[in-house]
Amino acid sequence: MCMAVPSRVVSIDGQMAVVEAFGQTRQTSLMMLDEPVAVGDYLILGAGGNFAAEKVSEETALAAIDYLSQVLEDGLA
Amino acid sequence: MFSEAGLSVSLRVRDGAVAAALIRSTRMVQAARLFAKRPPTEVLHLLPTVFSLCGTAQAMTGLNAMEKAAAITASPAQKAARTLLVLAETVTEHGLTIARDWPALAGGQPRLDHAKRIRGALAGLRGTLYPQGDWLSPGGGTLTADCDRICAAIDQARQAITQLMGHDIDELVLPIAFQAWLERDPTHLPGLVQAKGWAGIGAAPFLPMPEMGPPDLAARMATDRDGQYLARPDCAGRVFETGSLAHWSWHPLISDLMDRFGAGLLPRLAARLVALAEGLREMEELVRDLKPEPACSLPGLSGEGLTLTEAARGLLAHRVVLNDGKISQYQILAPTEWNFHPEGPLVRALHGLPADPDLEWKVRLLINALDPCVACAITLE
Repeated sequence: MCMAVPSRVVSIDGQMAVVEAFGQTRQTSLMMLDEPVAVGDYLILGAGGNFAAEKVSEETALAAIDYLSQVLEDGLA
Repeated sequence: MFSEAGLSVSLRVRDGAVAAALIRSTRMVQAARLFAKRPPTEVLHLLPTVFSLCGTAQAMTGLNAMEKAAAITASPAQKAARTLLVLAETVTEHGLTIARDWPALAGGQPRLDHAKRIRGALAGLRGTLYPQGDWLSPGGGTLTADCDRICAAIDQARQAITQLMGHDIDELVLPIAFQAWLERDPTHLPGLVQAKGWAGIGAAPFLPMPEMGPPDLAARMATDRDGQYLARPDCAGRVFETGSLAHWSWHPLISDLMDRFGAGLLPRLAARLVALAEGLREMEELVRDLKPEPACSLPGLSGEGLTLTEAARGLLAHRVVLNDGKISQYQILAPTEWNFHPEGPLVRALHGLPADPDLEWKVRLLINALDPCVACAITLE
């Protein structure tokens, strides 16, 4: 399924950010986002992860991460 | 560790042509099972975030399925608002592909400024229609019909697309204008594809998805205990193609191109443009059906609901079973499972492609034309 994992912003360098999700870090571009992004924000990445597609609230991100953790625990991932 | 789901395509080349294409998927097609025992409001909150690529279509299909299970009918104005939001997502997704992916596939630079403008134009539509944020309220949220603002947003998207294409999109999907555009500007991906003589690559037997979905869909989903159908759907052994080409094959431009090139690459690219043009046109028409309405509430009912949505990448199905207002079963069948099925349209398109130096480029173009919602790796064996 085309599931997206909310990723937390760890650092920002210009239009690029390092984000973390489930212990994995990766670089992504912030160029497609209109709103300002700060360290600690949660982002949804587009397919392939090259571009951040959307900023989501911490509450929404944590609820999604909780659900995805259960997907992982139940072996459905 | 949560690995990103994806697809991989391995090509086996024999005697100068692709003899076999093997598709492997790590997509989590059964993850929606874990929606069971959760309240509908929680699931509706999760859907657009967890399935964010087509988040609006996923959330709306889920909402419609829950309403169907609970025997609730949303008003015509609510239905118009929901269709508008799904179409906005479809237009945005096609616009992003054309602005961001097509130039890169043609060997140029992504036109991110245009991509951003298209997305920015329609991004605020949800808040304009449902300013209280209750767009996923079963029965319908508090709908505001600020038609002037909505029309202005659609117009902004139209202008951004016109600038991107260098041509009015409604005119561009007229057969004569399209042909002239192809010949005038070979730097655009469709022009390049025509100039290289690749218009018909990937043409293979065409099995379009029926407009109302597979006739056995409800029975197959209801009896899919082990998730095999969700992972590899079929209908009496046939694997349908869903998406822009299947949905718009009757359109005069697509019909003309398919007469000349079959279900090849150029008709597939053109079908994306038609989906874009028709999506904008339908959005403009839907604005007339909007009117302000208060929110409703979902009673604690029991029942089963299966609904279909024509999303950006094709037909999306959600099936839900409610018991006393709580979810007891949840299933999602996404278009990628049809289009990237091991015996589906991509495999049919790749079979027999000549193994020339451009093979990987052509494969990448065909994959992009079928538009998976996850990353897709290619290997040559």
